[in-house]
Amino acid sequence: MKYLVMECRPGYAIVLGDDGTFLKVANIHYAVGQTVTDVVPLKLPESFAQPKTNHRRWISSLAAMAACMALVVSSIFFTGQMPYASVYMTINPEVRIDVNRRDTVVGVEGMNDDGAELLKGYDHRKKELDTVMDELVDRAIDMGYLHEGGKITLSLDGNDTWIANHGIHLDQHLNQHLTDKITVTIDIQQKQPVQAAPTIPAGTIVIPVGPDHYGDSDYGVEEESDYGQSDYDDSGLGDSGYEDSIYGDSVYEEPEDDGQTDYDDWSEESEYEDQSDYDTPQDDAQSDYISPDSTDAGADNGDSGYEQTDYETSDENASDYEDADSDYNN
Amino acid sequence: MQTEHQIVNAVYRAKEDTDKADALIHSYMPFIRSQATKFMGRLCTDQDDELSIAMTAFYEAILGYERGRGTFLSYATLLIRSRLIDYTRKEAQHQGQISLDEEIGGEDERSLMDTLADERDYYEESAHREATRQEIEELAAVMAQFDVCFSDVADNCPRQERTMEACAKAIRYAGKNKKLLDELLRTRKLPLAQLVQGSGVERKTLERHRKYILTMLLIQTNGYEILRGHLYHVLKKGDTLV
Repeated sequence: MKYLVMECRPGYAIVLGDDGTFLKVANIHYAVGQTVTDVVPLKLPESFAQPKTNHRRWISSLAAMAACMALVVSSIFFTGQMPYASVYMTINPEVRIDVNRRDTVVGVEGMNDDGAELLKGYDHRKKELDTVMDELVDRAIDMGYLHEGGKITLSLDGNDTWIANHGIHLDQHLNQHLTDKITVTIDIQQKQPVQAAPTIPAGTIVIPVGPDHYGDSDYGVEEESDYGQSDYDDSGLGDSGYEDSIYGDSVYEEPEDDGQTDYDDWSEESEYEDQSDYDTPQDDAQSDYISPDSTDAGADNGDSGYEQTDYETSDENASDYEDADSDYNN
Repeated sequence: MQTEHQIVNAVYRAKEDTDKADALIHSYMPFIRSQATKFMGRLCTDQDDELSIAMTAFYEAILGYERGRGTFLSYATLLIRSRLIDYTRKEAQHQGQISLDEEIGGEDERSLMDTLADERDYYEESAHREATRQEIEELAAVMAQFDVCFSDVADNCPRQERTMEACAKAIRYAGKNKKLLDELLRTRKLPLAQLVQGSGVERKTLERHRKYILTMLLIQTNGYEILRGHLYHVLKKGDTLV
């Protein structure tokens, strides 16, 4: 491309390309009117070449602010829709009525089939708890669920203050509402949180034990004392006795046999430290028995396991219990 | 500290005013030359291209400097160095070729250039250059009446190919309608409305590159044969297509 030099300055020259572009280029001894082919264009700094960036930045910050505002506003709005407490109304149909802080109903749900039937086509939106209860009771009467002499059970679920405030109020309100219609018993109670029963994951624990007394009783609560004391009492406590007489020397010499030694530890720990470890069947016992790492650790301990100091480390010992069983049975 | 303040103010004045930038460059020539010398590893003379590059880099530093982001001179040093590196890399592609000024043995120190048949007519060339220079000066004078200088045009020139094409369309349209050009000279106003109507280019585009379009229209008014010849591809493209 050919450039015609239009203007020369110390800092730069202005050239006119034959495609019609005006360029600022490095002035390498150019003279006005000269035609040049190879130019070194001036690199304009970003801020100079695009003065609009400031404008854009302003807009983007505004947009970010607006987004934040929207987030805040929506979170405020939706907290109003969050259930704050629930009323379980049981006639035979059982329904759950969720309310927010202001006792506005934010959701109703049938807890059984009849409850779902009762709620079919019912619109709870923007209604107070009292209104919804009244209407649902009326519907129950209309649909034949509630008869003279029937019973309504209200279970309140929420924090204590809420329950204290609403228990009597709801009772009175419903009684007043039903005064002219039918007579029913209203039973108010606090909803008991469903307790997660401490399930013993017994199924996952695989203990490769023989038919002897170690089988189930190892983990069982009731036989714990049995296990701990009677079985191992004699041998387990004493280092010397354990080594010599009962388990035999050959067992100890083998590297796999750490289990044995640790087993010893285990029993001793159980006796002297906490019984409670055995009571809680869940975490410790389960995970430790499965993990293969702990057996390795146990292998390390195996040699020195007979020393008193090692008895203090409870975890490894416990983990090695499994090995101990198998080895022992062999 | 005090001197630093002075130069910062001088730089900020030079950003606005090209003449002041020139003056600043002149007063800092020793600095620029020392930087170039340091880079080249030998004395930098006025004939060296590196000096020109360094001066341009200094000018870029003036444009790009911002207060509160370090001292100006260290920024300028950095920029000069970077541009010189860029330049040497670019020039590196010519390595391995012999210069025409290379001496080719022999007794009378003849250079390679002397042995080649010289097809260029230096006399005519310099005459042509002189004519071009006059034309450009004329154009600059006319542009001054419109309060436009070449620096403005260079800054105002479209950089995107599509924009360039759109502007060229408007320019060609004006070239075909001499009435528009006459009106431009008479009223000293760019007949934007008619350009938009005639060429179908968006008004915003033309508005944004008003100075550039003005200059290109002025080139087409009268005279400026050499410039028009130079811009032949732009100005006559429509004709070849039609």
